[in-house]
Amino acid sequence: MEAALTNSLLIFLLISALFAVHFRDHLSAVLALSVFSTSMSVLFAVYQAPDVALAEAVVGAGLGTALFLIAVSRTRSKRSD
Amino acid sequence: MTLDYGTAIALLCLGLYCVMTKTDLIKIVIGINIMESAILLFLVRLAAAPGDRAPIYPAESNVPPAIVFADPIPQALSLTQIVINAAITAIMLSFVVKLYQSYRTIDLAEIRRIQH
Amino acid sequence: MIKPLSIVVLVPLAVVLCFALSALPTPAERKELGIASKHIRAHGVNDTGAMNLVAAVLFDYRGFDTLGEVTVIFSAVASVGLLFSVRRLPNTSEGLSTITKRSIGALVPFIFLVGFYIVMHGHLSPGGGFQGGVIWGSLLILLGIVYGSRYAEGVVAKESRTVMESLGALAFLGLGCVGLFAGGGFLANLAAGYPRGTPGAITSAGVIPLLSLMVGIKIGAGLAAIFYAMVNEGMEVDNDA
Repeated sequence: MEAALTNSLLIFLLISALFAVHFRDHLSAVLALSVFSTSMSVLFAVYQAPDVALAEAVVGAGLGTALFLIAVSRTRSKRSD
Repeated sequence: MTLDYGTAIALLCLGLYCVMTKTDLIKIVIGINIMESAILLFLVRLAAAPGDRAPIYPAESNVPPAIVFADPIPQALSLTQIVINAAITAIMLSFVVKLYQSYRTIDLAEIRRIQH
Repeated sequence: MIKPLSIVVLVPLAVVLCFALSALPTPAERKELGIASKHIRAHGVNDTGAMNLVAAVLFDYRGFDTLGEVTVIFSAVASVGLLFSVRRLPNTSEGLSTITKRSIGALVPFIFLVGFYIVMHGHLSPGGGFQGGVIWGSLLILLGIVYGSRYAEGVVAKESRTVMESLGALAFLGLGCVGLFAGGGFLANLAAGYPRGTPGAITSAGVIPLLSLMVGIKIGAGLAAIFYAMVNEGMEVDNDA
């Protein structure tokens, strides 16, 4: 666990979470959340927890983002026909 | 206060801020997800001391006694929590879609105005 | 709630949490204080026969918590199925282009194999029932997106998904009840007569690979059911509006 690698990953985590909260467009916020989940998974691997990293990668970046994208597409108010 | 515990606290407060102030339902769900991930980060950070190895025995049968493993119990709790987070997010997003079908908007202020 | 009021609430919370977390023992000190952790790290391989200590904790030492988690997934799938229960239109999605269908079609068996590997080697390397089960669920979702929902309904129909999910949960309970009848206690591993084997072989660790497989089947079928319930219900709303 090197300090430089861990610190840069943590700062990247904070920045992506700030973007996920800040964006008004739903699609951009969901993609920022997916980046947040992926960097969280890398951080878990650096913290010597490979099972948790694998689970967070498949759930956060795979299934969670898919569910969010379904919800975003079903709740769009202005449809271009 | 090291950076990793500080990041967990900052993420928890950021998620709570998002839940408290945003009126967009999908933003509220994103805020709850950020809070859950902050708790997971804290739990996994508790399990790892400097110089640890992952809690999986190497393939050789005789393990040298100098290897110190990370704590496996918080990692097992985090694993269960990740799957429960996925279930919670699925149910919350189902509610958001059903609310949109009923009220044609996902802005909380508009929904309260329509209701009263 | 307005922004200044929430800042006034959150800043004392953050300060209190900072003070609380700086009073925690460091992870190195924690591992000396924890009795259960020391026992599991020292005797985990001999007690269960599994090399992956996290899988040993999840399926042997704390198998009852895994049963609770399986119940949570079951109730989540039931809730989403209840909310999205009306479907009046047939499946009409056609899928993506031919290039995508051909290339993804070549990859699908290998993705299934990777998921199977992760599930079955859960007691030897990082992995286990949850991760492999989510990979299987994502594979079913990928089939639905790339080939269209009509083809996906033909491959794994809704009824067989429901049967697989219920069978996974019931088999989990059945494997636990074997321990009850053998006199070892519910969800007991070696005390119920399951063979321990040599640690490091694939047929070792008693009931842990079987429980992993049941949990993987259940989670894969459940998550794919959630996805298809959410996707299929929206189609009739678009035609009404």
